[in-house]
Amino acid sequence: MPKVKVDGVEIEVPQGATVLQACELAGKEIPRFCYHERLSIAGNCRMCLVEVKPGPPKPQASCALPAAENQEIFTNTPMVKHAREGIMEFLLINHPLDCPICDQGGECDLQDQSIAYGRGHSRFDENKRAVTEKYMGPIVKTVMTRCIQCTRCIRFAEEVAGVEEIGAIYRGENMQITSYLEEAVSSELSGNVVDLCPVGALTSKPYAFEARPWELRKTLTIDVMDAVGTNIRLDSRGRQVLRAVPRVNDDVNEEWASDKTRHAVDGLVRKRLDRPYVRRDGKLHAVTWDEAFAAIAAVEHGGSVAAVAGDLVDCETMFAAKALLKGLGSSLLEGRQTGMDYDTSSLAAVNFNTTIAGTEEADAILLVGTNLRWEAPLVNTRIRKAIKKGAKVFAIGPETELTYKVEWLGADLSVLGNLPERVTEAFGKAAKPMVIVGGAALKGAHGAALGLVETLGLVKDGWNGFNVVHMAASRMGGLMLGYAQPAGISALYDAKLTFFLGADECDHARFTGFKVYVGHHGDRGAHHADVILPGASYAEKSGTFVNLEGRVQRGERAVFPPGDAREDWTIFRALSERLGQTLPFDTIDELRAAMALDCPELATLGLKTFAWSAPALGTVAEGVLEGYPIKDFYLTNAICRASPTMQRCSAELVHGESFAEAAE
Amino acid sequence: MGIAQTIKAFTLYEFVKAHALTLKYFFKPKATINYPYEKNPLSPRFRGEHALRRYPNGEERCIACKLCEAVCPAQAITIEAEPRDDGSRRTTRYDIDMTKCIYCGLCQEACPVDAIVEGPNLDFATETREELIYDKAKLLDNGDRWERAIAANLAADAPYR
Amino acid sequence: MTDFFNHTVGLPYGWAWFLATIVGILAIALPLMLSVAMIIYADRKIWAAMALRRGPNVVGPFGLLQSFADGLKVFLQETIVPSAANRGLFLLAPIITFTVALIVWAVVPFQPGVVLANINVGLLYVLAASSLGVYGIILAGWSSNSKYPFFSAIRAAAQMVSYEVAIGFVLISVVMWAGSFNLTTIVEAQKGLYGFINGFGFNPLLFPMSVVFLISSLAETQRAPFDLTEAESELVAGYQTEYSSMAFALYWLGEYANVLLMCTLNATLFWGGYLPPFDWAPLYVVPGIIWLFAKILFFFFVFSWIKATVPRYRYDQLMRLGWKVFLPLSLFWVFLVSGVLMFMRVGV
Repeated sequence: MPKVKVDGVEIEVPQGATVLQACELAGKEIPRFCYHERLSIAGNCRMCLVEVKPGPPKPQASCALPAAENQEIFTNTPMVKHAREGIMEFLLINHPLDCPICDQGGECDLQDQSIAYGRGHSRFDENKRAVTEKYMGPIVKTVMTRCIQCTRCIRFAEEVAGVEEIGAIYRGENMQITSYLEEAVSSELSGNVVDLCPVGALTSKPYAFEARPWELRKTLTIDVMDAVGTNIRLDSRGRQVLRAVPRVNDDVNEEWASDKTRHAVDGLVRKRLDRPYVRRDGKLHAVTWDEAFAAIAAVEHGGSVAAVAGDLVDCETMFAAKALLKGLGSSLLEGRQTGMDYDTSSLAAVNFNTTIAGTEEADAILLVGTNLRWEAPLVNTRIRKAIKKGAKVFAIGPETELTYKVEWLGADLSVLGNLPERVTEAFGKAAKPMVIVGGAALKGAHGAALGLVETLGLVKDGWNGFNVVHMAASRMGGLMLGYAQPAGISALYDAKLTFFLGADECDHARFTGFKVYVGHHGDRGAHHADVILPGASYAEKSGTFVNLEGRVQRGERAVFPPGDAREDWTIFRALSERLGQTLPFDTIDELRAAMALDCPELATLGLKTFAWSAPALGTVAEGVLEGYPIKDFYLTNAICRASPTMQRCSAELVHGESFAEAAE
Repeated sequence: MGIAQTIKAFTLYEFVKAHALTLKYFFKPKATINYPYEKNPLSPRFRGEHALRRYPNGEERCIACKLCEAVCPAQAITIEAEPRDDGSRRTTRYDIDMTKCIYCGLCQEACPVDAIVEGPNLDFATETREELIYDKAKLLDNGDRWERAIAANLAADAPYR
Repeated sequence: MTDFFNHTVGLPYGWAWFLATIVGILAIALPLMLSVAMIIYADRKIWAAMALRRGPNVVGPFGLLQSFADGLKVFLQETIVPSAANRGLFLLAPIITFTVALIVWAVVPFQPGVVLANINVGLLYVLAASSLGVYGIILAGWSSNSKYPFFSAIRAAAQMVSYEVAIGFVLISVVMWAGSFNLTTIVEAQKGLYGFINGFGFNPLLFPMSVVFLISSLAETQRAPFDLTEAESELVAGYQTEYSSMAFALYWLGEYANVLLMCTLNATLFWGGYLPPFDWAPLYVVPGIIWLFAKILFFFFVFSWIKATVPRYRYDQLMRLGWKVFLPLSLFWVFLVSGVLMFMRVGV
């Protein structure tokens, strides 16, 4: 623990900290462009210059200099100020003065720093450099003339996303950042380079010129595109959500978000259900709420009522539906739309027990039937981190590119009962072994994977290496609220009256009864419905979500639902009155209190740990995995399917279509 | 009461003097002008009706930077933007609520391309409020109509900027 | 004219007199209405000019039709009667004001012999009729059932009574000097003062009374600086507050008709009426009515001039002037004039 003096204040810094980190600890702000806490150190922008004693009598780049014992650091001497002003002037030599048309304007590091260190005028009389735009896919818009060559994007692609598709070519003044061969960057995390770019060289293409940061209302909420529960901030103007950006939460998403999280939001204003519909003579007719409720009240269900939870619904909605069904005398609840029927008697057996952050510490990992890159991209980045620390990764399933080195054990699940020696050897040496079971294997190999807990010693003191990856934001919450039937969704097919809570992925044709769709998008579920009740999307209600590791998180409402649409729980509250089973809550707080009574884990926010107990299941796994459940990363739910950006990403990145723009 | 004052009182001296004064003014040139037909000269910095200007080649100047919207103390300006077909940054909507506007001129100070200006026109009263909510077409039309006067005013004020 | 209808047309005398009187009334009332309209315009132009403004200049050439535009405007407005008002009196009040303002004109001589009713107590009639005018205002103030009109009516009553006393004594001086109540006789009596000048006002003895009469006539017509009945800073619009449309217009017309009447009385009683200013034969070529109009217009200009110059009196100042200055002064003058007349008779 070296002791250093920052501007005369002595502090103790951790071993291996840089001078910049030391200054941060001392509360001094050091300007920087290339340095980023989650990326490797490059030291090429030179903005973080400080004066260090002992050392050569010149300013030092603090980001690349290790803090040493008895160092004296000065961050505000005239020499430092002068040096930084010089650097700023150099940076601005080739940076165009086009802030008014730059999307970064208002949230630009260079803009901010030039207020502090800009000289107000330039002494550069030569021609400015101009660089042609590079094509980086449907997410990232480039204006490379603005680039200051901080190389953050290159380091991100290489180190975090794991796709070595962005790099620098040429040298000196001619250096250019480009995607090699100008192909679309294939990473599902490419949107993060937009946030990383300290200037306006890489900006968001779907969001181009839409808004300025100062006119956006910022709402902290939780993403529902996958089960990770990415902490996001929705930026909205008026009634429209314009963009989603990640918040920092080291336990969940660090500060990254997948492209789906970021850019599906433009689907929130398209194909929306904004008024109730009732099907008459095979056609849907727009009606009033009253008429829609009357149509539902007319159904003679005789207690045979079911509810199917969609992938995007919040716990409040599921609880309201559950309470209504209870009043009607039924508990036919199911959320696993694709026909999964895994055992849910122990939630620990279907949880991501290691936790997302804990994944980094694993030293041997076995992936069973999971394409993590698409099922949980931000868990995938954690595995990359684990590999960097020396973990070995094995995988069972059809081979796919996971952005890191994986030893494939074939697609035959029976190998679980007879793991090769190199696997058992690696796991035997491992202090923190991990097995991650994906959706493809849960159907046939849940028991077999649970069997590995014993054989590989996954559960120890302070370590639980058994993990299941879910893909739906509502899944863990749904399981906690009892949205699971032993027989799976097929138990619901014969219900006389079925509520679909934004459920678009199930086989609606198999349901024989009266179908009520409560959701926000005119997608598959709405097409089959007899009555449509327009609800609110995740951006339009305050909702509780439980992510795949059992972390209860709550989001705020960013905008109001369109037209006649209402928050889902209020729909059930109103409908319950009509059905003669008035629900005992009138506000969201009362609902949450009732929900907390029903499911104590949902009473408080934060990570819930489930005591380990493995259900006794057959340990024999058979069958060959044909593929993974997610066929198209960009079109996994109704919001994505309504989003033009996601459509474009799917066409270009998954289906390989090329767009005219690419040839520019 | 002195003698002089008594005499003044009985001869209504003050009144007569006052009337002489008003009679003098009666014949003086009038301070007011015959407004709709005559107008007072305006400063080049006069802040009247807004206009969106174009470049001489007909391209609109506004680049949707939204600085005017941000600086507007009355929040009278509403801008929406998206990339035009040629990829340039342009407004799809540029509304000024003239009933909110306080004619402070901050929008034209903020504009980096001299697109939004307050022109010399000051008589644009309307019969309904709706007519005072200017859209982009109306503002561009104003710009075309007043361009000569606006350009002259900008040129006249340029040395002091 | 009665002769014309009686002998030339051959109507019975009664009918002839009736027709002739109707024609005479119309011949006075219609031009009077027209001149009121123009005099309002002139009034506004004069105030404007003295305030360095231009005044109405949009409707018609030089804005000449402004009064007609205003008239049309008020004519097209809705007549609003406040729900708490006494409807009958409320509508009667402006009619009284307007009517009284018109009937006094019956005794005004426009030319030698040209007078609608050449009664021998013309001046008494004038006093009587103009005293009735206050009823229009009092009724308006009371029937509006609104506090500001009520205050205004109280003020108006007190103000008019005060100054009518002074006016009465001034008139007595004039009557004594002229030796008649008949206006034509009074005018004729002013002829040839000192042998070359026409008008009592040039008589040093009567000149102070002409000034008192001018000022009192301002008060009598509620013109500035004595317009306390419609002191807008205190009473909104005074007794007219609740009036709109034609009822309001009637007050305007009546008020200005009264102003014109007072101008006429000033001209007639002190400044020679229809006589030219100098008793010089060539001047008599110009018809007397032209001289009268010229004098009326001059006095109207003086009225406007005063309005543009003098600020409004306080109410106590108004009362003080009426009771403590004009009343003693005019009373003293009655004694003075009668004394002089007695002295002159002794001389004879």
